[in-house]
Amino acid sequence: MGTDRRPLSEIIDADFAEVTRLGTTHEALALELGRVLDAAVAAMGAAVTLGANRTARYRDAMGRMPCPFGGCGVFPKGEVELSDPDTGETIRFTPLSVHMVAEHGFYQGRGSPYRLDPAALVRLLATG
Amino acid sequence: MLSLTIAVLVISTISGGLAALLVLAERFIANYGECQITINGEKTLAAEGGRSLLETLASQKIFIPSACGGRGTCALCKVKVLEGGGPVAPTELPLLSADERAANVRISCQVKVRNDIAIDIPPELFSVREYRGVVERIRDLTHDMKELGIRLVEPSEISFTAGQYVQLVAPEYKGSPEPVYRAYSVSSPPSRKDAIELIIRLVPGGICTTWVFNHLKRGDEVRLNGPYGQFGLTESDAEMIWIAGGSGMAPFWSIARDMAEKGVESKCTYFFGALTQKDLFLVDEFRELERKMPGFKFIPALSEPGEGGKWDGETGLITDVVGRHVEQGTVAEAYLCGSGGMIKAACKVLEAKGIPEERMFFDEFT
Repeated sequence: MGTDRRPLSEIIDADFAEVTRLGTTHEALALELGRVLDAAVAAMGAAVTLGANRTARYRDAMGRMPCPFGGCGVFPKGEVELSDPDTGETIRFTPLSVHMVAEHGFYQGRGSPYRLDPAALVRLLATG
Repeated sequence: MLSLTIAVLVISTISGGLAALLVLAERFIANYGECQITINGEKTLAAEGGRSLLETLASQKIFIPSACGGRGTCALCKVKVLEGGGPVAPTELPLLSADERAANVRISCQVKVRNDIAIDIPPELFSVREYRGVVERIRDLTHDMKELGIRLVEPSEISFTAGQYVQLVAPEYKGSPEPVYRAYSVSSPPSRKDAIELIIRLVPGGICTTWVFNHLKRGDEVRLNGPYGQFGLTESDAEMIWIAGGSGMAPFWSIARDMAEKGVESKCTYFFGALTQKDLFLVDEFRELERKMPGFKFIPALSEPGEGGKWDGETGLITDVVGRHVEQGTVAEAYLCGSGGMIKAACKVLEAKGIPEERMFFDEFT
């Protein structure tokens, strides 16, 4: 939740409205995030260049994180850093992030290091 | 003023009455009495019921691995429950596969001991102890990797096999309100019983690694438990291929020194992957082991060699380097330590070279 003081439902509703305004869906964004994750994991820590001039790098870490929504199992720790080298815009996400976008429409609260602002996500994933 | 005083007295009396009721309820209703815990059909313990199986076993000095301190999130504390234990709790379901549920595997921190219970646990868990130690050395290995040397105080000695791990307790500190346990492979050889070494990589935002890098000092007391795990060399004298990256070095540093001390002469090639030269460590030490063990070869490889000056060693992803060096039809055992992605990719390469799955052994970062 980061430092976000809004109720969870408000965060989810606001991000849903933004995702819809951007002309995409949670599922479409999660699918693209999953593709970036797979490509970065396969590169084993080395930077990988993706499509429209983006770079992604995966840092692994020992352990697993449970889904905070409960009932969804555990996910590997580790994070992907996805960047636009031209603008320097960067987002960080984890395997759990992908799941929460896909299954719960949750992009995390403001102030969370893994907050996925939908507009930034669309720019960096070049979808929508 | 009088009415305020009366109100306070009434509320205090009601609160006191409710508290007394709770105490009585706990004493007479939630009092499960003494429960028998039968372990592996052989050992029987008597313990007061009412706590989780994980806590109850810990109170009897039997330590089941747990990274989350019993909060039902890490899924490490799995135990086979043969009798008793009650129905599977909703909090356990997402952490158990269908096969595990069919085999009566349970998440021991979510199983409440209310009556007699029979369980199966790996016999090596009987050797697990809780230790107090003192940090005697903190050495920088790279910009994001430290080596901790911990002298054991109570008990003062540990027995383990090279490849096993311990759980280090990060205490509460500013930004982390409660203790957490994290698993680290022991990187020192088993011959040194009064102290252990750990290799710890800084994980941005990580609770334990932030404590180690920002707060822990030489002379500080630490707690840990162990040893755990089944990663380690088999008894065979087959040729070996080792593959690791980053802090995956830790178990191999223990195993390699153990081999040198015992005069093991098996042929062994150790492929170690790093990004750049500044991510390499213990290179001189492994070159020294190559001199001591003629059959041992250390091959570090960089996937981003362009940064940090001239590099005339191997380059590329570690799996590509393995592919170049391992000959088709090699008869060997493979030992791998690292992320799931690295292990999966390395196994594919090794399988293509003719090394069967049953001769591959992992210590996976999960």
